[in-house]
Amino acid sequence: MIEVKDITKKFGRKQVLRGVTFTAAKGEITCLIGINGVGKTTILNAIMALTPINSGQILIDGAKINKKSYEKITFIPDAITMLPQMTIGQSMQFMQDFYESWNQERATELLGFFKLKPEEKISSLSKGNTAKVNLLLGLALDVDYLLMDEPFSGIDIFSREQIAEVFTSHLVEDRGVIITTHEINDIEHLIDQVILLDDGIVVKAFNSEEIRENEGKSVVDVMREVYQQ
Amino acid sequence: MNRYVKLVNFELGRFMKVYIALIGITIISQLAAVIVVSKSYLNNANQAMNVDHMAIETFIEQYGRMSFNDVTNSIFFIGPIALCIVTLLIYSLFIWYRDWFGKNTFIYRLLMLPTARLNVYLAKASAIFLFVLGLVGLQILLLPLERMILQWMVPIDLRWDLSINEMIRNFDRLGIMLPYSIAEFAIHYGIGFMAVIVLFTIIMFERCYRLKGILLGIGYGALALIVFFLPVFVQEFMLYNYFYPEELFMLMLVTGLLVTAGSIWMSNHLLTRKIRV
Repeated sequence: MIEVKDITKKFGRKQVLRGVTFTAAKGEITCLIGINGVGKTTILNAIMALTPINSGQILIDGAKINKKSYEKITFIPDAITMLPQMTIGQSMQFMQDFYESWNQERATELLGFFKLKPEEKISSLSKGNTAKVNLLLGLALDVDYLLMDEPFSGIDIFSREQIAEVFTSHLVEDRGVIITTHEINDIEHLIDQVILLDDGIVVKAFNSEEIRENEGKSVVDVMREVYQQ
Repeated sequence: MNRYVKLVNFELGRFMKVYIALIGITIISQLAAVIVVSKSYLNNANQAMNVDHMAIETFIEQYGRMSFNDVTNSIFFIGPIALCIVTLLIYSLFIWYRDWFGKNTFIYRLLMLPTARLNVYLAKASAIFLFVLGLVGLQILLLPLERMILQWMVPIDLRWDLSINEMIRNFDRLGIMLPYSIAEFAIHYGIGFMAVIVLFTIIMFERCYRLKGILLGIGYGALALIVFFLPVFVQEFMLYNYFYPEELFMLMLVTGLLVTAGSIWMSNHLLTRKIRV
């Protein structure tokens, strides 16, 4: 389980996070929702120790993140994390060289699923294909937790559908996923837990299925209630 | 350790094209220096002896014999050395900043590798150090070859042969690059390595605290300088030539090791606890 406990973060004088608390369990998809600048990416960066927090605590399966944690949790940012001059094949080789959790069989499967060519250079990829490569590099790791930052941002509808398909496949099954997105429609039916953020705090956290069953509301309905008040 | 070696290999690969270009420029330019300087000298000799009918002894008296010193003073010889130094200095900054800036977010990948972040830092420092040693090695290989070309071109009566040691000793800048003894080599390159580590620490301050980090980095750099030269300051301003040269050397070795170890510790702390993507 990923536990985010009362974390705060300031950038200069700007208080971005003001005591954010939530948990994300293995086998569930947790979606962080909020307008731009609300601190969604900062939370993901903080979980991965890519930005320091001012106070609070983040635990992954009960322990603080360390070098070994990167074999069981991975982050897929909204930009490619490989060098532009590398080919897709070289990027996969890089991952294989450094990660024990790299699953080559799954990587090959994803390559076919996304219809990507190993000899293609990262710099020559379209935005959609770049997102797919990023996803491939994250999903091919045998990790327990996946963090995804805006995986649908700025890409065409067909790529979006293909990426959304991944969430219903065995590629994500049993893993804990934290995702930030604006494109809620693409994955609304897949989300387990929703965290609505505003002004650096969690304004509402709920289970999407429970709210659907008990109150007959969709995630978008709750978002409207919260953000349009 | 294994991942550190892989990282060093990766860092070497990232600069290899530029590095090979530097090696190519150095070889071509320095060989050209030997040929151009020798040709020019021979043209003078030809003019003096065959056209102006000057006796060889008179020519040598007036112009002197040609030696390798004439080559090392040529811009074609010094130029590529300066180019390599400047390029590696710039690269010492670029090796970090290129992973942060532009569309490149490779720093995410480097910081998320399942290895100590210090390995990333040490791999970059090692790569710089290996590049420097590679260029020094190239110069060591080039010197005998260049001397051989000079000997082919200039007749024995008109030249003054120097040993490799003399070639280095007669040219101060080569002396810094190619020290005469193992001890001097360790001092020159130890100081160089320390300087790279301190520079990397300053970069870490800047990357962690951005604008405030520039000031912190400058402060840290100044502190590192003061600590390193502390025995010299004590010798000059407090104890007035109290230490023997060997003692001063040993003290500076200690302060140098302190600065290097302190900088690595500080960088590790910043990389694990304060770094921002």
